[in-house]
Amino acid sequence: MSILFSGRVSSGASDHKLGLGRRFVMFWVNHVRQALFSLGELWRTPSASILTIGVLGVSLTLPATLHLLVKNVQQVSDSFTQAAEISLFIREGTNATQISSLQKILQADSDIARVTHISKQQALAEFGAVSGFGAALNYLTENPLPDVLLVLPKNTSADSARQLLERLSKERIVEFGKLDIDWLTRLDAIVSLLRQAVLVIAVLLLGAVLLIIGNTIRLSIMNKKDEIEVMKLVGATDAFIQRPFLYSGIWYGVFGGLLAFLIVEAMLWWLQGAIASVTSLYDSEFNLMSLSMGEFFSLMLLAVLLGLSGSYLSVRRHISAIEPTGP
Amino acid sequence: MLEFDQVSKSYPGGFVALDRVSFKLEKGEMAFLTGHSGAGKSTLLKLISLIERPSVGKVLINDVDLSRIRRAHIPYVRRDIGIIFQNHRLLMNHTVFDNVALPLVIEGFSGKDMVKRVHAALDKVGLLDKVRCLPHTLSGGEQQRVGIARAVVNKPPLLLADEPTGNLDPDLSKDIMQVFEAFNQVGVSVLVATHDLGLVARMKYRTLTLRQGKMINDGLLQYEEAPL
Repeated sequence: MSILFSGRVSSGASDHKLGLGRRFVMFWVNHVRQALFSLGELWRTPSASILTIGVLGVSLTLPATLHLLVKNVQQVSDSFTQAAEISLFIREGTNATQISSLQKILQADSDIARVTHISKQQALAEFGAVSGFGAALNYLTENPLPDVLLVLPKNTSADSARQLLERLSKERIVEFGKLDIDWLTRLDAIVSLLRQAVLVIAVLLLGAVLLIIGNTIRLSIMNKKDEIEVMKLVGATDAFIQRPFLYSGIWYGVFGGLLAFLIVEAMLWWLQGAIASVTSLYDSEFNLMSLSMGEFFSLMLLAVLLGLSGSYLSVRRHISAIEPTGP
Repeated sequence: MLEFDQVSKSYPGGFVALDRVSFKLEKGEMAFLTGHSGAGKSTLLKLISLIERPSVGKVLINDVDLSRIRRAHIPYVRRDIGIIFQNHRLLMNHTVFDNVALPLVIEGFSGKDMVKRVHAALDKVGLLDKVRCLPHTLSGGEQQRVGIARAVVNKPPLLLADEPTGNLDPDLSKDIMQVFEAFNQVGVSVLVATHDLGLVARMKYRTLTLRQGKMINDGLLQYEEAPL
């Protein structure tokens, strides 16, 4: 494109009689070439690049680790579904048919996952076995324990369990219902607190990452001030000058993201043994969950976006500010 | 080709660098711009290459008023002007080839077409054998010629040179001037700013002389210095 000389054939690719397909291919070839060139630039300044990538990697590691922590705690709280089990104590003098019909009705209820009936006799036998009053209980003339229906709600969150409890307590043959809700509420509150803390810390760290990348790119723009001036003097547009810096930002993101991923994996591997010994003491089946494929890609995407936007912010400000001062 | 119409340029603080300068450079014409340092030579070249804008008056290239060029279009204007710098301003950590190819890369050339043009430009300045060298391995005169090759590689219709022989000895200066003459002979308009009056007088081209921002002479220089 020539503004001053309308007849002048100057531009290379655009003025040649290239087919649309070929031009499309060349567009991508050029971008790949520039991306590789930027990669080479990072390679040529290893100390600065490694520092930036290190900072980016460590900054992304923290939110990723916290995310894993929340995810694993949630897994633990999910395994305590019994905590939301509702015990319905049946009125004295209710006969077996009534109980079993109530059990059938509850089993058909869409909010309820499972209903188990513990009869008076079973309860007494269990109590005798567990409490150690076995012999003493034989002296009772009648069984003082009521029939119990154990109801496992489908939705184990504290709120919905409480609602279900209220509804079930109104059943005619139910004396009263009981739900150990307090510690479930506490666990819920802790998990949601954790999740919010993760969010806040993540936002702060990501902000820091943005500034760090912006600053690194700013320094490399300043280092190339002379080169940029010359390029502007021979007719380079800002967009053309910006491109290698934007690619550097993307590469910082890619390597920073990979580094964060490796650190998280190494940490999990390190902790696996310790956690296994703790969980074996608690007799629980707990598997430490690592990053899933989707989470890995989100991490990488986030890192690349951060790198790109950090360099974009810097490039926007600083490249247009550099003007050649004279021939 | 290039026209200055009553152009003045004053800087903040009241310093007047150019004072109502008017002249016209025809297509295919070659001229020298002389004057002491501080006379306004650099300012005049800056106005042409859109590094600065005039305070008053109009600068026209090929009848296009440069004041109408928006900032985003400045790069496209500069592609039509080959500029040669006193300190050659090469990228020292890139090879001669990369330096000369820069304007072509910017315009989107690639592959064989680019190589052909770069080689042609280096051939014209007699440096084809230095294609793979780094600039700091070359002599001052050679570096300056690389700068010229870079300025002409995309065949601009207008060539500006700011003290192209400033750091060179007389023999090399003559070589450089002959390179400019060769480009002029194939139809390129050339404007060379220099304070080397002896050289200017010997070359016998139109000479524009500035003194304190005013154009005091337009024509052949009248005297000739004794050869060194």
